[in-house]
Amino acid sequence: MQIALAIYFTSALGAIAVWLLMPSAIMNLRKLGGLVGLATLGGLWLFLALGPTWQHLGIGQGPFVYYYLFSSLAIIAAVRVICNEKPIYSALWFVMVVLATAGLFLLLSAEFMAFAMVIIYGGAILVTYMFVIMLASHAGYAENPSELPMYDRFSREPFWASLAGFLLLATLLGVIFIEDRTPNPDAVGISNQQIILGDPATGTGPILGRRPATNLAHAIGASATTLPPAAKPESVTNAERIGIDLFLSHPLGLELAGVILLVSLVGAVVIAKTRVPNEDTQTESAASASEHVRSDPAGAEN
Amino acid sequence: MPESIDSMTLAHFLMTGAILFVLGVVGFISRRNLIIMFLCTEMMFQGIVVSLVAFSRFHSNDTGQTFVIFVLTIAAAEAALALGLIVLLFRRQRTLDATAWSQLSG
Repeated sequence: MQIALAIYFTSALGAIAVWLLMPSAIMNLRKLGGLVGLATLGGLWLFLALGPTWQHLGIGQGPFVYYYLFSSLAIIAAVRVICNEKPIYSALWFVMVVLATAGLFLLLSAEFMAFAMVIIYGGAILVTYMFVIMLASHAGYAENPSELPMYDRFSREPFWASLAGFLLLATLLGVIFIEDRTPNPDAVGISNQQIILGDPATGTGPILGRRPATNLAHAIGASATTLPPAAKPESVTNAERIGIDLFLSHPLGLELAGVILLVSLVGAVVIAKTRVPNEDTQTESAASASEHVRSDPAGAEN
Repeated sequence: MPESIDSMTLAHFLMTGAILFVLGVVGFISRRNLIIMFLCTEMMFQGIVVSLVAFSRFHSNDTGQTFVIFVLTIAAAEAALALGLIVLLFRRQRTLDATAWSQLSG
C-alpha cells in the first residue's frame, strides 16, 4: 500500500515537472520544473533504496549503486531530449540515453546488447539524425533563442500530454511493483553444459563442438600442446549464447529482418530521388524571406 | 547464463524502461518538430529494449536479447525511411512543423 502511494505521488510530481520543463509560450518556469523533477527523482530513489531495495538486497550490493547511477542518467537525459528547444542538443542528449541504457545492460550481463546498442544507436542511427538536422534546418539561428522557429519554441498541449503520459506511467508502475513474479521454469533457455558438452538425455551433440585436437593441430600445422584449451561450459560468452539462440530458434525472423532492411533501403533511395515541384523557386523565395525577416548586423549594413 | 535476478530487481529495471517509454510518449505528443518526434519514437524503443533484456535475465532465456536485435533492425529501417520522408517534406514546405501538415490534400 505504501509503495502504491509513493508511485502515484511521484507520477503526479513527475507530470508537473515535465509540464513545466516543456518549452511554452505562456510562462517560463523551466528552472522550477527542473528542481521539481530532480527532487522527484531523488525522492523516488531514496524511497526505493531505503524501502524495497534495502529489504530485498541490501544497499551494500555494488550493482545496485550502479543501477541508480545509470538509471538517473538515462531519465535525466531523456527529459532533456524531449524538453530541449534545439533539435541538435536533443539528438546529443539521446546519445546519453543510449550510453546509460548500455550501462544498465552491462549490469544485466547482456554485454553483446550493450555494445550493439552503442554501435548501432549511438554510432549509426544518431549520425543519420545529425545529418538530417543539418540538412533540414534554417541556417543562422544557433546563437539567439528568439530566432528559433516557432515550432521549436512552443510545444503543443504540454499539460495534457504529460497528464496522459504519467497516468500511463502510474498504471504501469502499479502493475510492475505490486505484482510478485516468479521465473517461468519452462522458459529457461539452453544451458552452457548443453552448448559445450551436448545433452546425453536426448542424445544431441554439442552445439559449439570442436574438432578433435589432433585434427585441428594438423590443420594449422601446430603441435597439440600449443593449442588453446578446449571450451569449458563456464567460458561460454553472452555473444555466443545470443548467436545460438538467434540461429537455432529464430531463423525465419532473421531472414525477415534482412528483407525489411532491403525494402527500407530501396524505399529510402526512392524517397530521396523524388522530385519536388518548384523546389528551386521555393528555396529562393524562402531564402530572401528569411533574409528579410532576420535582423542580423550584416543585413542591417546592406 | 548468469543466475536469475529476483522479482524486486526486475521491477526496478522495468521501472526504468517504463519511464523511458512514457517520456518518449510525452515528447511524441507534445513536440512539434518532426525530427524530435521521431527521436522520441527511438526513445520508446529504448524503454522496450530495457524491459526485454531485464525479462531475458529474469527468465534465464536468451530470446529476450535476440528480440532486441529485431527491435534494432526495425529502428534502423524506420529511421532511414522516416528521415527520408522528413527531408522530402522539408524540401516541399521549408518547415519541420508537424502542424503544417495537419491538412493533407491529394
